[in-house]
Amino acid sequence: MKRLIVLSCLLAFTMAFTGQALADGKALVDSNKCGDCHQMAGPAAATIADVMKRKAPDLFYAGSKFNKEWLVGYIQNPTQLRPAGTVYRNNIKTEGDKDIVGDLPKCASKLSAGDAAAVADYLMTLTDASMAAGVFKQDKFKKARAKILMKKKEACDACHMFPGKKGKPGKGGVSCPTFAGIGARLNPDWMYSFIKHPQHWDPKVWMAKREFTDAQLQLMVNFLSSMK
Amino acid sequence: MRKTTIVPAVIATFVFSFGFVLSMAGSASAESAADNYNLFCVQCHGTKGTGKGVNAPALAVAPRNHTSAKDMSALKDADVFKAIKEGGVAVGKSTQMPSFASNMTDAEITEMVKHLRGMCKCEGKK
Ligand code: HEC
Ligand code: HEC
Ligand code: HEC
Repeated sequence: MKRLIVLSCLLAFTMAFTGQALADGKALVDSNKCGDCHQMAGPAAATIADVMKRKAPDLFYAGSKFNKEWLVGYIQNPTQLRPAGTVYRNNIKTEGDKDIVGDLPKCASKLSAGDAAAVADYLMTLTDASMAAGVFKQDKFKKARAKILMKKKEACDACHMFPGKKGKPGKGGVSCPTFAGIGARLNPDWMYSFIKHPQHWDPKVWMAKREFTDAQLQLMVNFLSSMK
Repeated sequence: MRKTTIVPAVIATFVFSFGFVLSMAGSASAESAADNYNLFCVQCHGTKGTGKGVNAPALAVAPRNHTSAKDMSALKDADVFKAIKEGGVAVGKSTQMPSFASNMTDAEITEMVKHLRGMCKCEGKK
């Protein structure tokens, strides 16, 4: 009996404690005004006019999208992930008849390690329950086959930058996130879901839905996951 | 007397709400061709439509110059529609021209073909 009481006290304590950390995380998101730039609640912009007003990537499904470890690091010291910014169209200028990328707004998050952990705990609770978990199967794969599918056949590199060798800048388009470091950054189940149906996550995203088999999705996500 | 006022009122309500539903359905999905071009095409074809978008340096094949009457009048409207809906491969061109079937409705693609004809100030091959 005594044991049971101690146990339930412990349980109540840990529950209250994690509840407190989540509340702290949310309070920090509010006090740091992350929501001034990031949409912290759904649904995603459904018209082009609203997409053009987007200042930063949506975070209301952060818990489905990111690897927590990466998140904790990024919000202490953010870097540029999209070579032409969040909505490339808002950041380009024309020189002659050629478009070039202009100045890019940066992520303003500069949290301490402790605050970053609390914020990441909170962000990881923002999930999309409709996303299937455990779909991705990590496996041996042939890099050459992945490259044929992603470059030659589907031209993913028309828009996405592939990582270069040993710190060298990679090759590819600039209108969306770079693939450099994507394996450390994103949850592979989310990548699978996004590539399968980008418009589920972002109705007006400027990436096409393609018809892929499960084997093709596994191959691509295995390759992307290896880009740490 | 009573019946004669109720019946037209019911009909009027029905017609009104039907029209309302129709206009809602239209405005909820259709974007103008100019807006669609701006978000979906400019990344490769460029703000001026000349094929010099921010992604162009990464492409092995130059995106079509939509302002060139010479290049664009060589294409039939039906083939332009097909290239946009199904991608370059469907018309024997580069895979670097993606398919936009998931980004635009058929009606929006039809408007896009007209928009491109305005850009080249030309007509499609018959
Ligand atoms: C002044 C606007 C601004 C504020 C305020 C801001 N951010 Fe950002 N954030 C951005 C932009 C812009 C990017 C996109 C950077 C890129 O992709 O190159 C970004 C990217 C991110 C990303 C990566 C998202 C992705 O999908 O790749 C995370 C996570 C993030 N921010 C978290 C935060 C948190 C947490 C806060 C508050 C503590 C915050 N940001 C405050 C502008 C902002
Ligand atoms: C026409 C341009 C275009 C092409 C081609 C394209 N994408 Fe994308 N992709 C995008 C855009 C735009 C986004 C979303 C940008 C954002 O969240 O800021 C995106 C996002 C992604 C993401 C999530 C990335 C992230 O870092 O948040 C993955 C994974 C991805 N694409 C994979 C692919 C694969 C695989 C292919 C080829 C089969 C491909 N893409 C082809 C434009 C493109
Ligand atoms: C990822 C880059 C990219 C995007 C985004 C893109 N295009 Fe293209 N487009 C190309 C390339 C490359 C070609 C040239 C293909 C060739 O000549 O083999 C092309 C060619 C075309 C052609 C000529 C096809 C033919 O039969 O010769 C048309 C029409 C066209 N694009 C319209 C559009 C429209 C409309 C959009 C936006 C809805 C768009 N493109 C978006 C890269 C792109």
